Amino acid sequence: MNNQEQKKSISEAVLDKIKSGGVRIKPKLYFVLKTILVVLGGLAIGLFVLFLISFISFALRASGVWFLPEFGLRGFGMFFSYLPWLLILMAALLIIGLETLLKRFTFIYRKPVIYSLLAVILIAFLGGFLIDRTPFHSGLFLRAREGNLPLAGPMYRDFGILEPNEVHRGVVLETTENGFIIEMPQGEVLNVVISPDVHLAPEFEIKKDDAVVVFGEEHDGTVNALYVRKIDDNFRFSPRSRPSFPPLNRMSK
Amino acid sequence: MEQKPEKTDEEVANLVQAGDINLFGILIYRYEDKMMRYSRKFLSDQEDIKDVVQEIFLKAYENIKSFDVKRKFSSWLYRIAHNELVNVLRKRRKNILPLFDLDVFFPHSLHDNSLTQEIDRQDMSKMIDKCLDQLEPKYREPIILYYLEGLAYKEIADIIRVPISTIGIRIKRAKEKMKSIYQKSGYSL
Repeated sequence: MNNQEQKKSISEAVLDKIKSGGVRIKPKLYFVLKTILVVLGGLAIGLFVLFLISFISFALRASGVWFLPEFGLRGFGMFFSYLPWLLILMAALLIIGLETLLKRFTFIYRKPVIYSLLAVILIAFLGGFLIDRTPFHSGLFLRAREGNLPLAGPMYRDFGILEPNEVHRGVVLETTENGFIIEMPQGEVLNVVISPDVHLAPEFEIKKDDAVVVFGEEHDGTVNALYVRKIDDNFRFSPRSRPSFPPLNRMSK
Repeated sequence: MEQKPEKTDEEVANLVQAGDINLFGILIYRYEDKMMRYSRKFLSDQEDIKDVVQEIFLKAYENIKSFDVKRKFSSWLYRIAHNELVNVLRKRRKNILPLFDLDVFFPHSLHDNSLTQEIDRQDMSKMIDKCLDQLEPKYREPIILYYLEGLAYKEIADIIRVPISTIGIRIKRAKEKMKSIYQKSGYSL
């Protein structure tokens, strides 16, 4: 078959199919709707990433895990073991999905992936941390604690999958002879015992309403504290306790 | 009598968008050889090549209203051809273009071809004849689009949807690979 015959056969086949109605032009509206769907999908993924990252940040602060690295090398190791890896993996996959969607746009794919990926990660982290500084998650947490948050309730009550056994965050309800009693965000009350071998800095003094993080294993509502740290954190989790946000102070072993 | 200048691809596409479907034949006529040549570099069976080219034009017709007439029609059509070939190759599980490639991840400095372009093109046509088939598709495609179809880096970047600097680095590496294959085969430049 020479070139002219082949040309005739391909163009004829295509034009015949067009004229017979075997293939039709998709209306402009189809492409407009597709673009809108991509943009909405991107926005939904972006918002969910922001929610996840802000929730992870909230859960780490509210559970006290956030403060673990300040308790030395062991605390640092435990910080990694308590990280909500499933939520982190989910956020990472969503960021990859978002990047894939963004790659449809000329101004994104013409530049190396590293630029857009870093921009997405930076915006996600900054946005996530900013949202965590608002009363959004603590408000939802309080609703969950009161049983008024149907779907996300369990997730908030357990801080996602964070259930650290050795770190406890709370507000001092009262001091005792050998320690103090704290109320935790979930409403649980713990008796903190500071053993004599824990060295207290002379200026360190625990008062009622102090917000603290205690590091030590819990047995039957009692924690033998290895480390205690006062925290200056604006996370208001308990309407009953109303912590007075003391200045940052630290007690070391 | 003054002859009317021929309508550009974009003008013809605009008329097809407006409903003059018979004019689509002009676009087929203008691009059929190019699409055949492009597909031939990835497929060997003549019937397969014809099927793919038909499919490229049918998809172009179906989606003609997504074409932005302010942009180049050729780049838009090559993009459809690229997608169609990737789909065909993927179905056959051979010569698959990589889903993820570090080349697209990090920035590269653009390789300057201008100084050696003329000599380069002569050597390249010899090398392309002899060793294009031995190149991986990710290197083969920019070489075809740049040297055989005469497209610019920016247009190739729009077709393959990778960064412009990646096109530069792939063409540079493809040339090095072809030179090595060419010389190993006993030819000299």
